[in-house]
Amino acid sequence: MSADPIMQGIAASHAGIATRLAGGPAWNERRGLALSRLLGRGLPDRRDENWKYLDHAEIAGRSFSPAATAPVTALQLAPVMLPLAAARRVVLVDGACQPGLSAAGAGNGIEIDDLAAIMTRDPALALQMLREPGDDADDRYALLAEAFVSAGVVIRVAANAAPGRSLYLLHVGTGTGPGTNHSRVVIEVGAGATLSLVEHFVTLGNAPTLANLAAELRIDAGATVEHLRIHESGAQAAQLETWVTTLQADSRYRQQFFALGGRLLRSNLDLSLAGRAAAARLSGLFMVDGARQADLYTRVEHHGAVTRTSQEFRGIGSGRGRGAFNGRVVVHPSARGADASQTCRNLLLTPLAEINTRPQLEIHTDDVQCRHGATTGTLDPEQIFYLRSRGLDAVTARALLTVAFCADIVAALPQEALREYVLERVVGQLPDRDVIRSLR
Amino acid sequence: MTKNGQTILSVRDLRVRAGERTILEGVSLEVRAGEVHAIMGPNGSGKSTLTGALAGRPGLEVLSGTATYLGRDLLALPPEERARAGLFLAFQYPVEIPGVNNVYLLKASLNALRRHRGEPELDAFEFLTLVRARLARMQMDEGLLNRGVNEGFSGGEKKRNEILQMSLLEPTLALLDETDSGLDIDALKVVAEGVNALRSPERAIVIVTHYQRLLDYVVPDHVHVLARGRIVRSGGGELARELERRGYDWLRDGTAAA
Repeated sequence: MSADPIMQGIAASHAGIATRLAGGPAWNERRGLALSRLLGRGLPDRRDENWKYLDHAEIAGRSFSPAATAPVTALQLAPVMLPLAAARRVVLVDGACQPGLSAAGAGNGIEIDDLAAIMTRDPALALQMLREPGDDADDRYALLAEAFVSAGVVIRVAANAAPGRSLYLLHVGTGTGPGTNHSRVVIEVGAGATLSLVEHFVTLGNAPTLANLAAELRIDAGATVEHLRIHESGAQAAQLETWVTTLQADSRYRQQFFALGGRLLRSNLDLSLAGRAAAARLSGLFMVDGARQADLYTRVEHHGAVTRTSQEFRGIGSGRGRGAFNGRVVVHPSARGADASQTCRNLLLTPLAEINTRPQLEIHTDDVQCRHGATTGTLDPEQIFYLRSRGLDAVTARALLTVAFCADIVAALPQEALREYVLERVVGQLPDRDVIRSLR
Repeated sequence: MTKNGQTILSVRDLRVRAGERTILEGVSLEVRAGEVHAIMGPNGSGKSTLTGALAGRPGLEVLSGTATYLGRDLLALPPEERARAGLFLAFQYPVEIPGVNNVYLLKASLNALRRHRGEPELDAFEFLTLVRARLARMQMDEGLLNRGVNEGFSGGEKKRNEILQMSLLEPTLALLDETDSGLDIDALKVVAEGVNALRSPERAIVIVTHYQRLLDYVVPDHVHVLARGRIVRSGGGELARELERRGYDWLRDGTAAA
């Protein structure tokens, strides 16, 4: 047994509830195994190279006991939802699928199931369906989620299906009381199918909760997935997420990522391009103000020949906000003709804000194109002077340039209503928000 | 409104430092309404420092001397107030600002100046009509309006964009910093036309240049030679042609006799 008080707490919490979770003996065994592996290894800390910028004390200060939850009504959700006309909707409340709040619609080759229901009805199927976290040092929060797994959603898109309407996956934290919830999301997109997925993280209450999401996305040959992700949890919420995405031959994946809220966000985006000519494009923006923190870790593995990836991230720090972008690209010997690019540009608006970047390239073949670049700086004085020399005051000039810094990332959003929505959230976090609003 | 012959800018013994180096060692200049001045000089003589100091470029420290603009202490004003009072600097290196729309800046800028003058802001239709007319004069593609400010513009397009802004803002005092550099002959003529269109008895234009060629198209009333931080010689348009013929070397000794 670990001497670490956090691990002891996790073990005690597990002992209290694990056998009452969904799935019966088979799942009790699997959860128990995950727990014992985790106890042997401990949680990541500052000494782990890919976790060095994260405020582990903020996580350690939270309760790992199950968080209290509360019923949520459609009326409560209405004001926090994204303006997505005609989307299918799946709602997870404190990690658990809520069919009553969802409006998934049937047919067109898309199947949406409550994970707890599958675990209860067909534990063996569920065992096959969920990835077992590996021994990788970066996979330990997924292991923690595995030790408690009983809630989440499974989304399957049949081969060659084109479900049309996008799928809105809303993660709602009730913030009822301190504690932790774990959630699993499994998405399988069949060969040649298309899926447009919009994921949105919000909280209703303000308790200091920890939400731990382990998710996997499997994109089969020739399939196309567009994935928009907007994090805007409340000021006390901490969110951990581990995404493992695999792409088969000729598949396409596009992710747009916005970290706009929450006390702490740690995102692990693990992307494996397994098949020939698979291509992925990630872009996004993280904003940290006040004492908030966003820590983004991407790991992109090129296995297939002529696979392509591009990553373009921006960070804006103000107040005492802390941000990190850690991007690792591995090009394996099999990935001949691969093309990988990665950029991260960061803007610091106040002296106490901090953003760290850490690009890592590991290339094991000669036949490859790789580019990366990371910059962190303040607004350009020459640009400010140019605008002022045209009659704009200094505050307006700075406000314009700050919005301009992320304008292309926002402009790439697929719908006008979403662009407006995100821009308003971005502006709302800037020191000169009132000036910017008056300009629009 | 200024009247022909009224003093617009009066610079007295201006000394300016950039970093550790004193660049301007005492410049005096008098510019009246209706006049076009050319300030010529070799590289490093302080031409851009002079226009920068007058427009309020950060990083330049005025050590002594005065600059009076329409009776006001120009050097006490922040850059935006100088602009609103009718001073315009066409940049030698117009800065690219991706994400700020060119037409947005034109409109924000024009309206900032109009508000300052107590004039109503232009509505969208009036504004576009005005911009289109000016674009045509500068032979610029309308597509450039919806690009980021100077983003991906060629050198010539950037310079035309500066003159486009100038022709829209109709400054009382225009400072053109090496606007001719990097322009081919056709672009030079277009830029010159834009500058000449602004010439009027109420305005003044100060053209800073290394070469005489822009002055073939925008004929100056006064030519000054700046060398090592001082105006070492002043004269009429013929001085520019003499400089073109003889270079700057004969003036290196400051007050060398002609």
